[in-house]
Amino acid sequence: MLRIQDASVTFPASDGSAVHALDRVNLDIAPNSIVVAVGASGCGKSTLLNAIAGFLPLTEGSITLDGKPIDKPGSERGVVFQKDTLLPWANVLDNVALGLKFQGVSRAERHERARGLLALVGLSDFADKPPYELSGGMRQRVGIARALATDPKILLMDEPFGALDSLTRETMQQLLAGIWAETGKQVLFITHSIEEALILGTTIVVMSPRPGRIIARFDAAFVRDFAEYGDIGPIQSAPRFIELREEIRALIHQPARSGALQ
Amino acid sequence: MTLAANSQEVLPLSPNRHARLPGVARPRIGTRTISVATLAALLALWFTAARLGWATPLFLPSPADVFNQFGVVLNDGYAEGTLLEHALASLGRIGAALGIGIVLGVPVGLLMGLNRWVRGVFTVPIDLYWGLPPLAYLPLLIIWLGIGESSKIVLLALSTFAPICFSAQAGVRSVPVERVNAALSLGASRLQLFTGIILPSALPEILTGLRIAVGAGLSTLVAAELIAARSGLGYMIMSAANFLATDVVFVGLIVIAALAFAFSAGLRWLERRLVPWKGKL
Repeated sequence: MLRIQDASVTFPASDGSAVHALDRVNLDIAPNSIVVAVGASGCGKSTLLNAIAGFLPLTEGSITLDGKPIDKPGSERGVVFQKDTLLPWANVLDNVALGLKFQGVSRAERHERARGLLALVGLSDFADKPPYELSGGMRQRVGIARALATDPKILLMDEPFGALDSLTRETMQQLLAGIWAETGKQVLFITHSIEEALILGTTIVVMSPRPGRIIARFDAAFVRDFAEYGDIGPIQSAPRFIELREEIRALIHQPARSGALQ
Repeated sequence: MTLAANSQEVLPLSPNRHARLPGVARPRIGTRTISVATLAALLALWFTAARLGWATPLFLPSPADVFNQFGVVLNDGYAEGTLLEHALASLGRIGAALGIGIVLGVPVGLLMGLNRWVRGVFTVPIDLYWGLPPLAYLPLLIIWLGIGESSKIVLLALSTFAPICFSAQAGVRSVPVERVNAALSLGASRLQLFTGIILPSALPEILTGLRIAVGAGLSTLVAAELIAARSGLGYMIMSAANFLATDVVFVGLIVIAALAFAFSAGLRWLERRLVPWKGKL
Protein backbone atom coordinates (compact mmCIF):
# COMPACT_ATOMS: atom_id res chain seq x y z
CA MET A 1 0.00 0.00 0.00
CA LEU A 2 1.29 3.39 -1.00
CA ARG A 3 -0.01 6.17 1.24
CA ILE A 4 0.24 9.86 0.45
CA GLN A 5 -0.67 12.16 3.31
CA ASP A 6 -1.06 15.95 3.06
CA ALA A 7 1.65 16.08 0.41
CA SER A 8 2.60 19.60 -0.71
CA VAL A 9 5.35 20.75 -3.05
CA THR A 10 6.21 24.42 -3.33
CA PHE A 11 8.70 25.90 -5.79
CA PRO A 12 10.09 29.41 -5.70
CA ALA A 13 9.01 31.17 -8.91
CA SER A 14 11.32 33.49 -10.85
CA ASP A 15 9.50 36.57 -9.50
CA GLY A 16 10.09 35.42 -5.91
CA SER A 17 6.55 34.23 -5.23
CA ALA A 18 5.77 30.61 -4.37
CA VAL A 19 4.31 28.12 -6.86
CA HIS A 20 2.11 25.51 -5.22
CA ALA A 21 2.72 22.61 -7.57
CA LEU A 22 1.03 20.22 -5.17
CA ASP A 23 -1.32 21.27 -2.38
CA ARG A 24 -2.22 18.90 0.49
CA VAL A 25 -2.81 15.80 -1.61
CA ASN A 26 -4.13 12.67 0.11
CA LEU A 27 -4.18 9.43 -1.85
CA ASP A 28 -3.89 5.71 -1.18
CA ILE A 29 -2.84 3.23 -3.82
CA ALA A 30 -3.79 -0.28 -2.77
CA PRO A 31 -2.36 -3.50 -4.18
CA ASN A 32 -4.10 -4.71 -7.31
CA SER A 33 -5.35 -1.24 -8.24
CA ILE A 34 -4.56 1.20 -11.02
CA VAL A 35 -4.87 4.79 -9.91
CA VAL A 36 -4.97 7.19 -12.83
CA ALA A 37 -4.35 10.89 -12.25
CA VAL A 38 -5.86 13.00 -15.00
CA GLY A 39 -5.85 16.76 -15.46
CA ALA A 40 -4.73 19.69 -17.56
CA SER A 41 -1.06 20.71 -17.86
CA GLY A 42 0.30 22.17 -14.64
CA CYS A 43 -2.16 20.40 -12.35
CA GLY A 44 0.69 18.73 -10.47
CA LYS A 45 0.14 15.18 -11.68
CA SER A 46 3.75 14.76 -12.80
CA THR A 47 4.98 16.48 -9.63
CA LEU A 48 3.02 13.90 -7.64
CA LEU A 49 4.65 11.06 -9.57
CA ASN A 50 8.14 12.57 -9.25
CA ALA A 51 7.66 12.90 -5.49
CA ILE A 52 6.59 9.26 -5.18
CA ALA A 53 9.52 8.19 -7.34
CA GLY A 54 11.81 10.14 -5.01
CA PHE A 55 13.11 12.55 -7.67
CA LEU A 56 11.62 15.52 -5.84
CA PRO A 57 11.36 16.21 -2.10
CA LEU A 58 8.01 17.10 -0.54
CA THR A 59 7.76 20.52 1.08
CA GLU A 60 5.22 19.14 3.54
CA GLY A 61 3.45 15.88 4.21
CA SER A 62 4.61 12.31 3.79
CA ILE A 63 4.61 9.40 1.39
CA THR A 64 5.03 5.87 2.68
CA LEU A 65 5.21 2.53 0.90
CA ASP A 66 4.13 -0.33 3.16
CA GLY A 67 4.80 1.95 6.11
CA LYS A 68 8.30 2.95 5.06
CA PRO A 69 8.80 6.65 4.27
CA ILE A 70 10.10 7.55 0.81
CA ASP A 71 13.03 9.93 0.60
CA LYS A 72 15.00 8.87 -2.48
CA PRO A 73 14.57 6.85 -5.70
CA GLY A 74 14.57 3.10 -5.30
CA SER A 75 13.96 -0.05 -7.30
CA GLU A 76 10.83 -1.02 -5.33
CA ARG A 77 9.16 1.81 -7.29
CA GLY A 78 9.53 1.15 -11.04
CA VAL A 79 9.20 4.23 -13.27
CA VAL A 80 8.14 4.35 -16.92
CA PHE A 81 8.87 7.73 -18.46
CA GLN A 82 7.16 9.56 -21.31
CA LYS A 83 10.49 10.15 -23.04
CA ASP A 84 12.25 6.91 -23.67
CA THR A 85 15.30 6.63 -21.42
CA LEU A 86 16.87 3.47 -22.79
CA LEU A 87 20.65 3.31 -23.02
CA PRO A 88 21.68 3.53 -26.70
CA TRP A 89 24.95 1.62 -26.15
CA ALA A 90 23.22 -1.45 -24.71
CA ASN A 91 20.98 -3.85 -26.62
CA VAL A 92 17.35 -4.41 -25.69
CA LEU A 93 18.10 -7.39 -23.42
CA ASP A 94 20.77 -5.53 -21.43
CA ASN A 95 18.47 -2.51 -21.13
CA VAL A 96 15.77 -4.68 -19.57
CA ALA A 97 18.36 -6.27 -17.27
CA LEU A 98 19.86 -2.93 -16.16
CA GLY A 99 18.19 -2.80 -12.74
CA LEU A 100 19.23 -6.40 -12.02
CA LYS A 101 22.80 -5.51 -13.00
CA PHE A 102 22.74 -2.67 -10.47
CA GLN A 103 21.60 -5.20 -7.86
CA GLY A 104 24.55 -7.45 -8.66
CA VAL A 105 22.51 -10.30 -10.17
CA SER A 106 24.72 -12.62 -12.25
CA ARG A 107 24.77 -12.12 -16.00
CA ALA A 108 23.16 -15.48 -16.80
CA GLU A 109 20.36 -15.03 -14.30
CA ARG A 110 19.54 -11.44 -15.23
CA HIS A 111 19.48 -12.32 -18.93
CA GLU A 112 17.12 -15.20 -18.24
CA ARG A 113 14.75 -12.95 -16.29
CA ALA A 114 15.00 -10.22 -18.94
CA ARG A 115 14.09 -12.75 -21.64
CA GLY A 116 10.97 -13.68 -19.69
CA LEU A 117 9.94 -10.03 -19.52
CA LEU A 118 10.64 -9.47 -23.22
CA ALA A 119 8.29 -12.36 -23.93
CA LEU A 120 5.69 -10.71 -21.71
CA VAL A 121 5.82 -7.49 -23.74
CA GLY A 122 6.02 -9.37 -27.05
CA LEU A 123 9.58 -8.43 -28.02
CA SER A 124 11.39 -11.76 -27.80
CA ASP A 125 12.76 -11.41 -31.31
CA PHE A 126 14.38 -8.04 -30.58
CA ALA A 127 16.63 -8.94 -27.64
CA ASP A 128 19.86 -8.30 -29.56
CA LYS A 129 18.77 -5.07 -31.31
CA PRO A 130 19.99 -1.65 -30.20
CA PRO A 131 17.07 0.48 -28.95
CA TYR A 132 17.41 3.05 -31.76
CA GLU A 133 16.35 0.43 -34.30
CA LEU A 134 12.99 0.03 -32.54
CA SER A 135 9.81 2.04 -33.10
CA GLY A 136 8.50 4.38 -30.39
CA GLY A 137 5.91 1.87 -29.19
CA MET A 138 8.47 -0.91 -28.99
CA ARG A 139 10.82 1.28 -26.96
CA GLN A 140 8.04 1.94 -24.46
CA ARG A 141 7.50 -1.82 -24.21
CA VAL A 142 11.19 -2.19 -23.38
CA GLY A 143 10.78 0.60 -20.82
CA ILE A 144 7.90 -1.26 -19.17
CA ALA A 145 9.85 -4.54 -19.17
CA ARG A 146 12.84 -2.74 -17.64
CA ALA A 147 10.70 -1.22 -14.88
CA LEU A 148 9.20 -4.66 -14.11
CA ALA A 149 12.58 -6.43 -14.03
CA THR A 150 13.38 -5.52 -10.43
CA ASP A 151 9.90 -6.74 -9.42
CA PRO A 152 8.81 -3.39 -7.94
CA LYS A 153 5.86 -3.09 -5.59
CA ILE A 154 4.43 -0.21 -7.57
CA LEU A 155 4.70 0.91 -11.16
CA LEU A 156 4.79 4.68 -11.74
CA MET A 157 3.91 5.64 -15.30
CA ASP A 158 4.28 9.27 -16.40
CA GLU A 159 2.22 9.73 -19.59
CA PRO A 160 3.99 6.69 -21.06
CA PHE A 161 1.83 6.51 -24.17
CA GLY A 162 1.44 10.27 -24.72
CA ALA A 163 3.92 10.43 -27.60
CA LEU A 164 2.55 7.41 -29.47
CA ASP A 165 0.12 7.36 -32.40
CA SER A 166 -3.45 6.39 -31.51
CA LEU A 167 -3.30 2.84 -32.92
CA THR A 168 -0.07 2.03 -31.08
CA ARG A 169 -1.45 3.67 -27.94
CA GLU A 170 -4.43 1.31 -27.98
CA THR A 171 -2.15 -1.72 -28.32
CA MET A 172 -0.05 -0.47 -25.42
CA GLN A 173 -3.10 0.16 -23.22
CA GLN A 174 -4.17 -3.39 -23.90
CA LEU A 175 -0.67 -4.65 -23.04
CA LEU A 176 -0.67 -2.73 -19.75
CA ALA A 177 -4.14 -3.95 -18.79
CA GLY A 178 -2.98 -7.51 -19.50
CA ILE A 179 0.20 -7.14 -17.46
CA TRP A 180 -1.75 -5.61 -14.61
CA ALA A 181 -4.30 -8.42 -14.61
CA GLU A 182 -1.42 -10.92 -14.75
CA THR A 183 0.82 -9.45 -12.04
CA GLY A 184 -1.61 -7.55 -9.80
CA LYS A 185 0.89 -4.70 -9.41
CA GLN A 186 -0.27 -1.43 -7.98
CA VAL A 187 0.03 1.22 -10.63
CA LEU A 188 -0.02 5.01 -10.66
CA PHE A 189 -0.68 6.21 -14.19
CA ILE A 190 -0.51 9.85 -15.26
CA THR A 191 -2.34 11.03 -18.36
CA HIS A 192 -4.08 14.02 -19.86
CA SER A 193 -6.49 11.80 -21.79
CA ILE A 194 -9.83 11.30 -20.05
CA GLU A 195 -10.61 8.24 -22.17
CA GLU A 196 -7.29 6.64 -21.29
CA ALA A 197 -7.93 7.35 -17.61
CA LEU A 198 -11.32 5.62 -17.75
CA ILE A 199 -10.11 2.64 -19.75
CA LEU A 200 -7.17 1.93 -17.45
CA GLY A 201 -8.13 3.14 -13.98
CA THR A 202 -9.72 1.29 -11.10
CA THR A 203 -9.59 4.68 -9.42
CA ILE A 204 -9.51 7.95 -11.33
CA VAL A 205 -8.42 11.11 -9.55
CA VAL A 206 -9.10 14.41 -11.29
CA MET A 207 -6.56 17.12 -10.57
CA SER A 208 -6.72 20.87 -11.13
CA PRO A 209 -3.92 23.43 -11.39
CA ARG A 210 -2.84 26.42 -9.28
CA PRO A 211 -2.59 24.99 -6.70
CA GLY A 212 -2.23 21.39 -7.88
CA ARG A 213 -4.80 19.35 -5.97
CA ILE A 214 -7.25 16.49 -6.29
CA ILE A 215 -10.76 17.80 -6.97
CA ALA A 216 -12.63 14.54 -7.53
CA ARG A 217 -12.30 10.76 -7.36
CA PHE A 218 -14.16 8.09 -9.26
CA ASP A 219 -14.10 4.32 -9.07
CA ALA A 220 -14.34 2.44 -12.34
CA ALA A 221 -14.02 -1.16 -13.47
CA PHE A 222 -13.73 -0.84 -17.24
CA VAL A 223 -10.13 -2.03 -17.07
CA ARG A 224 -11.24 -5.50 -15.90
CA ASP A 225 -13.39 -5.96 -19.01
CA PHE A 226 -10.66 -4.47 -21.10
CA ALA A 227 -8.04 -6.87 -19.69
CA GLU A 228 -10.36 -9.81 -20.26
CA TYR A 229 -11.80 -9.08 -23.71
CA GLY A 230 -9.27 -6.62 -25.09
CA ASP A 231 -11.90 -4.76 -27.08
CA ILE A 232 -12.07 -1.03 -26.54
CA GLY A 233 -15.12 -0.28 -28.72
CA PRO A 234 -17.98 -1.64 -26.55
CA ILE A 235 -16.42 -0.14 -23.43
CA GLN A 236 -16.21 3.33 -24.91
CA SER A 237 -19.85 3.26 -26.07
CA ALA A 238 -21.24 2.06 -22.74
CA PRO A 239 -23.59 4.70 -21.22
CA ARG A 240 -21.75 4.67 -17.87
CA PHE A 241 -18.42 5.34 -19.67
CA ILE A 242 -19.84 8.29 -21.60
CA GLU A 243 -21.48 9.68 -18.46
CA LEU A 244 -18.22 9.55 -16.48
CA ARG A 245 -16.25 10.96 -19.40
CA GLU A 246 -18.52 14.01 -19.65
CA GLU A 247 -18.49 14.52 -15.90
CA ILE A 248 -14.68 14.49 -15.76
CA ARG A 249 -14.45 16.71 -18.81
CA ALA A 250 -16.69 19.28 -17.11
CA LEU A 251 -14.56 19.12 -13.95
CA ILE A 252 -11.31 19.65 -15.83
CA HIS A 253 -12.63 22.59 -17.84
CA GLN A 254 -14.41 24.25 -14.94
CA PRO A 255 -11.41 25.90 -13.22
CA ALA A 256 -10.13 27.14 -16.57
CA ARG A 257 -13.46 28.89 -17.20
CA SER A 258 -13.65 30.48 -13.78
CA GLY A 259 -10.02 31.52 -14.19
CA ALA A 260 -10.81 33.17 -17.50
CA LEU A 261 -13.59 35.20 -15.88
CA GLN A 262 -11.35 36.69 -13.22
CA MET B 1 3.14 -15.86 -22.70
CA THR B 2 2.83 -13.09 -25.17
CA LEU B 3 0.30 -10.38 -24.64
CA ALA B 4 0.67 -8.41 -27.81
CA ALA B 5 1.73 -10.70 -30.56
CA ASN B 6 -0.36 -8.84 -33.11
CA SER B 7 1.46 -5.60 -32.79
CA GLN B 8 0.64 -2.99 -35.39
CA GLU B 9 4.07 -1.50 -35.12
CA VAL B 10 6.65 -2.14 -37.77
CA LEU B 11 10.36 -1.81 -37.52
CA PRO B 12 11.71 1.27 -39.20
CA LEU B 13 13.95 0.51 -42.14
CA SER B 14 17.53 0.09 -41.07
CA PRO B 15 18.84 3.64 -40.86
CA ASN B 16 20.59 4.91 -43.94
CA ARG B 17 24.15 5.99 -43.43
CA HIS B 18 23.51 8.97 -45.65
CA ALA B 19 20.24 10.69 -45.01
CA ARG B 20 18.42 11.70 -48.16
CA LEU B 21 15.44 13.95 -48.76
CA PRO B 22 12.39 11.89 -49.59
CA GLY B 23 11.67 11.75 -53.27
CA VAL B 24 15.25 12.57 -54.25
CA ALA B 25 16.72 9.76 -56.31
CA ARG B 26 20.26 8.49 -55.63
CA PRO B 27 22.56 10.65 -57.75
CA ARG B 28 24.53 8.89 -60.48
CA ILE B 29 27.88 10.36 -59.32
CA GLY B 30 28.70 10.00 -55.62
CA THR B 31 30.33 12.69 -53.48
CA ARG B 32 33.42 10.54 -53.02
CA THR B 33 33.91 10.23 -56.79
CA ILE B 34 33.70 14.02 -57.13
CA SER B 35 36.31 14.47 -54.37
CA VAL B 36 38.74 12.01 -55.95
CA ALA B 37 38.28 13.66 -59.36
CA THR B 38 39.01 17.07 -57.81
CA LEU B 39 42.23 15.75 -56.28
CA ALA B 40 43.24 14.27 -59.64
CA ALA B 41 42.50 17.58 -61.40
CA LEU B 42 44.65 19.51 -58.90
CA LEU B 43 47.53 17.08 -59.42
CA ALA B 44 47.12 17.37 -63.18
CA LEU B 45 47.19 21.17 -62.89
CA TRP B 46 50.42 20.95 -60.87
CA PHE B 47 52.02 18.66 -63.51
CA THR B 48 50.93 20.98 -66.31
CA ALA B 49 52.06 24.13 -64.54
CA ALA B 50 55.51 22.62 -63.87
CA ARG B 51 55.84 21.15 -67.38
CA LEU B 52 54.89 24.37 -69.15
CA GLY B 53 57.03 26.47 -66.82
CA TRP B 54 54.21 28.75 -65.59
CA ALA B 55 56.23 29.38 -62.43
CA THR B 56 59.94 29.03 -61.66
CA PRO B 57 60.92 25.91 -59.61
CA LEU B 58 61.74 28.28 -56.74
CA PHE B 59 58.03 29.01 -56.36
CA LEU B 60 56.57 25.78 -57.69
CA PRO B 61 58.87 22.75 -57.93
CA SER B 62 57.80 20.04 -60.35
CA PRO B 63 56.15 16.86 -59.01
CA ALA B 64 59.19 14.92 -60.20
CA ASP B 65 61.57 17.16 -58.23
CA VAL B 66 59.45 16.80 -55.10
CA PHE B 67 59.31 13.03 -55.56
CA ASN B 68 63.10 12.83 -56.01
CA GLN B 69 63.66 15.07 -53.02
CA PHE B 70 61.34 12.82 -51.00
CA GLY B 71 63.70 9.93 -51.68
CA VAL B 72 66.74 12.02 -50.80
CA VAL B 73 65.24 13.30 -47.54
CA LEU B 74 64.05 9.82 -46.68
CA ASN B 75 67.48 8.19 -47.20
CA ASP B 76 70.10 10.88 -46.67
CA GLY B 77 68.11 13.26 -44.47
CA TYR B 78 67.86 17.01 -44.30
CA ALA B 79 68.63 19.45 -41.49
CA GLU B 80 70.47 17.00 -39.22
CA GLY B 81 67.99 14.15 -39.60
CA THR B 82 66.22 11.79 -41.97
CA LEU B 83 62.56 12.31 -42.81
CA LEU B 84 61.65 9.44 -40.50
CA GLU B 85 63.59 10.99 -37.60
CA HIS B 86 61.89 14.35 -38.10
CA ALA B 87 58.47 12.72 -38.39
CA LEU B 88 59.09 10.61 -35.28
CA ALA B 89 60.27 13.69 -33.35
CA SER B 90 57.03 15.46 -34.24
CA LEU B 91 54.87 12.42 -33.55
CA GLY B 92 56.58 11.85 -30.21
CA ARG B 93 55.81 15.42 -29.14
CA ILE B 94 52.17 15.33 -30.16
CA GLY B 95 51.74 11.81 -28.80
CA ALA B 96 53.13 12.80 -25.40
CA ALA B 97 51.02 15.97 -25.39
CA LEU B 98 47.83 14.12 -26.33
CA GLY B 99 48.56 11.55 -23.63
CA ILE B 100 48.90 14.28 -21.00
CA GLY B 101 45.86 16.10 -22.38
CA ILE B 102 43.67 12.99 -22.15
CA VAL B 103 44.98 11.75 -18.79
CA LEU B 104 44.44 15.17 -17.18
CA GLY B 105 41.69 16.65 -19.34
CA VAL B 106 39.13 13.84 -19.13
CA PRO B 107 39.03 13.51 -15.32
CA VAL B 108 39.22 17.26 -14.71
CA GLY B 109 36.47 17.84 -17.28
CA LEU B 110 34.27 15.10 -15.80
CA LEU B 111 34.73 16.55 -12.32
CA MET B 112 33.93 20.03 -13.65
CA GLY B 113 30.70 18.63 -15.05
CA LEU B 114 29.80 16.88 -11.78
CA ASN B 115 30.84 19.40 -9.15
CA ARG B 116 30.26 23.14 -9.11
CA TRP B 117 33.29 23.76 -6.86
CA VAL B 118 35.65 22.10 -9.33
CA ARG B 119 33.89 23.91 -12.16
CA GLY B 120 34.20 27.24 -10.36
CA VAL B 121 37.90 26.80 -9.66
CA PHE B 122 39.00 25.58 -13.10
CA THR B 123 36.80 27.51 -15.55
CA VAL B 124 38.50 30.89 -15.29
CA PRO B 125 42.17 29.81 -15.62
CA ILE B 126 41.38 27.48 -18.52
CA ASP B 127 39.25 30.11 -20.27
CA LEU B 128 42.04 32.68 -19.82
CA TYR B 129 44.89 30.66 -21.32
CA TRP B 130 42.73 28.90 -23.95
CA GLY B 131 41.87 32.32 -25.38
CA LEU B 132 45.56 33.05 -25.98
CA PRO B 133 47.31 31.97 -29.17
CA PRO B 134 49.71 29.21 -27.98
CA LEU B 135 52.68 30.85 -29.68
CA ALA B 136 52.13 33.97 -27.58
CA TYR B 137 53.05 32.11 -24.38
CA LEU B 138 55.69 29.83 -25.91
CA PRO B 139 58.45 32.38 -25.10
CA LEU B 140 57.34 32.35 -21.46
CA LEU B 141 57.44 28.56 -21.38
CA ILE B 142 60.94 28.65 -22.89
CA ILE B 143 62.06 31.06 -20.14
CA TRP B 144 60.60 28.76 -17.50
CA LEU B 145 61.46 25.36 -18.94
CA GLY B 146 64.30 25.99 -21.38
CA ILE B 147 64.55 25.42 -25.12
CA GLY B 148 64.40 21.60 -24.83
CA GLU B 149 61.52 19.19 -25.31
CA SER B 150 59.67 20.00 -22.10
CA SER B 151 58.64 23.53 -23.14
CA LYS B 152 57.20 22.24 -26.43
CA ILE B 153 55.42 19.29 -24.85
CA VAL B 154 53.90 21.50 -22.17
CA LEU B 155 52.78 23.97 -24.84
CA LEU B 156 51.12 21.18 -26.84
CA ALA B 157 49.66 19.56 -23.74
CA LEU B 158 48.07 22.89 -22.81
CA SER B 159 46.56 23.27 -26.27
CA THR B 160 45.10 19.74 -26.20
CA PHE B 161 44.02 19.81 -22.53
CA ALA B 162 41.46 22.60 -22.87
CA PRO B 163 39.30 21.15 -25.66
CA ILE B 164 39.34 17.67 -24.09
CA CYS B 165 38.50 19.10 -20.68
CA PHE B 166 35.67 21.31 -21.98
CA SER B 167 34.18 18.51 -24.04
CA ALA B 168 34.24 16.07 -21.10
CA GLN B 169 32.48 18.73 -19.03
CA ALA B 170 29.92 19.35 -21.79
CA GLY B 171 29.44 15.59 -22.09
CA VAL B 172 28.51 15.29 -18.42
CA ARG B 173 26.24 18.33 -18.58
CA SER B 174 24.43 16.95 -21.63
CA VAL B 175 23.38 13.68 -19.97
CA PRO B 176 19.55 13.79 -20.03
CA VAL B 177 18.16 14.17 -16.52
CA GLU B 178 15.53 11.50 -17.31
CA ARG B 179 18.32 9.01 -18.03
CA VAL B 180 19.87 9.73 -14.62
CA ASN B 181 16.48 9.50 -12.89
CA ALA B 182 15.74 6.23 -14.68
CA ALA B 183 19.02 4.73 -13.46
CA LEU B 184 18.40 5.95 -9.90
CA SER B 185 14.91 4.47 -9.87
CA LEU B 186 16.43 1.16 -11.00
CA GLY B 187 18.60 1.26 -7.91
CA ALA B 188 21.93 2.55 -9.27
CA SER B 189 24.51 3.53 -6.65
CA ARG B 190 26.50 6.74 -7.17
CA LEU B 191 29.44 4.78 -8.56
CA GLN B 192 27.20 2.72 -10.86
CA LEU B 193 25.53 5.93 -12.01
CA PHE B 194 28.92 7.39 -12.92
CA THR B 195 30.49 4.36 -14.61
CA GLY B 196 27.31 2.92 -16.10
CA ILE B 197 25.45 6.04 -17.23
CA ILE B 198 27.37 9.31 -17.09
CA LEU B 199 30.71 8.16 -18.49
CA PRO B 200 29.29 6.35 -21.55
CA SER B 201 26.82 9.21 -22.13
CA ALA B 202 29.73 11.68 -22.18
CA LEU B 203 31.91 9.54 -24.45
CA PRO B 204 30.68 10.93 -27.81
CA GLU B 205 31.42 14.49 -26.62
CA ILE B 206 34.84 13.44 -25.31
CA LEU B 207 35.74 11.95 -28.71
CA THR B 208 34.60 15.15 -30.42
CA GLY B 209 36.89 17.05 -28.04
CA LEU B 210 39.73 14.69 -28.96
CA ARG B 211 39.28 15.57 -32.64
CA ILE B 212 39.47 19.27 -31.83
CA ALA B 213 42.50 18.60 -29.62
CA VAL B 214 44.33 16.76 -32.42
CA GLY B 215 43.66 19.67 -34.79
CA ALA B 216 44.79 22.26 -32.26
CA GLY B 217 47.81 20.12 -31.32
CA LEU B 218 49.00 19.64 -34.90
CA SER B 219 48.86 23.32 -35.79
CA THR B 220 50.56 24.31 -32.53
CA LEU B 221 53.19 21.59 -33.00
CA VAL B 222 54.33 22.72 -36.43
CA ALA B 223 54.26 26.38 -35.45
CA ALA B 224 56.34 25.66 -32.33
CA GLU B 225 58.85 23.67 -34.37
CA LEU B 226 59.16 26.49 -36.86
CA ILE B 227 60.23 28.81 -34.03
CA ALA B 228 62.10 26.79 -31.47
CA ALA B 229 63.30 23.29 -32.31
CA ARG B 230 66.30 21.31 -33.57
CA SER B 231 64.21 18.48 -35.03
CA GLY B 232 60.74 17.79 -36.32
CA LEU B 233 58.81 18.38 -39.51
CA GLY B 234 58.29 22.08 -38.77
CA TYR B 235 62.03 22.53 -38.20
CA MET B 236 62.80 20.69 -41.45
CA ILE B 237 60.44 22.98 -43.38
CA MET B 238 61.90 26.11 -41.80
CA SER B 239 65.48 25.02 -42.53
CA ALA B 240 64.56 24.23 -46.13
CA ALA B 241 62.86 27.59 -46.52
CA ASN B 242 66.00 29.37 -45.26
CA PHE B 243 67.92 27.77 -48.15
CA LEU B 244 65.03 28.29 -50.61
CA ALA B 245 64.76 24.49 -51.02
CA THR B 246 61.10 24.72 -52.02
CA ASP B 247 60.93 21.04 -52.98
CA VAL B 248 61.88 20.00 -49.42
CA VAL B 249 59.24 22.41 -48.09
CA PHE B 250 56.72 20.58 -50.28
CA VAL B 251 57.89 17.20 -48.95
CA GLY B 252 57.39 18.41 -45.37
CA LEU B 253 53.93 19.79 -46.13
CA ILE B 254 52.81 16.59 -47.82
CA VAL B 255 54.00 14.48 -44.87
CA ILE B 256 52.17 16.74 -42.40
CA ALA B 257 49.02 16.57 -44.52
CA ALA B 258 49.27 12.77 -44.59
CA LEU B 259 49.72 12.67 -40.80
CA ALA B 260 46.71 14.91 -40.25
CA PHE B 261 44.65 12.74 -42.58
CA ALA B 262 45.75 9.58 -40.75
CA PHE B 263 44.85 11.08 -37.36
CA SER B 264 41.45 12.10 -38.63
CA ALA B 265 40.77 8.69 -40.17
CA GLY B 266 41.91 6.97 -36.99
CA LEU B 267 39.58 9.06 -34.87
CA ARG B 268 36.66 8.40 -37.20
CA TRP B 269 37.40 4.68 -36.86
CA LEU B 270 37.54 5.04 -33.08
CA GLU B 271 34.17 6.80 -33.10
CA ARG B 272 32.58 4.08 -35.17
CA ARG B 273 33.97 1.46 -32.81
CA LEU B 274 33.25 3.16 -29.48
CA VAL B 275 30.08 5.20 -30.05
CA PRO B 276 28.14 3.65 -32.94
CA TRP B 277 24.96 5.04 -31.35
CA LYS B 278 26.13 8.68 -31.65
CA GLY B 279 23.30 10.94 -32.83
CA LYS B 280 20.84 8.04 -32.82
CA LEU B 281 19.11 8.52 -29.50
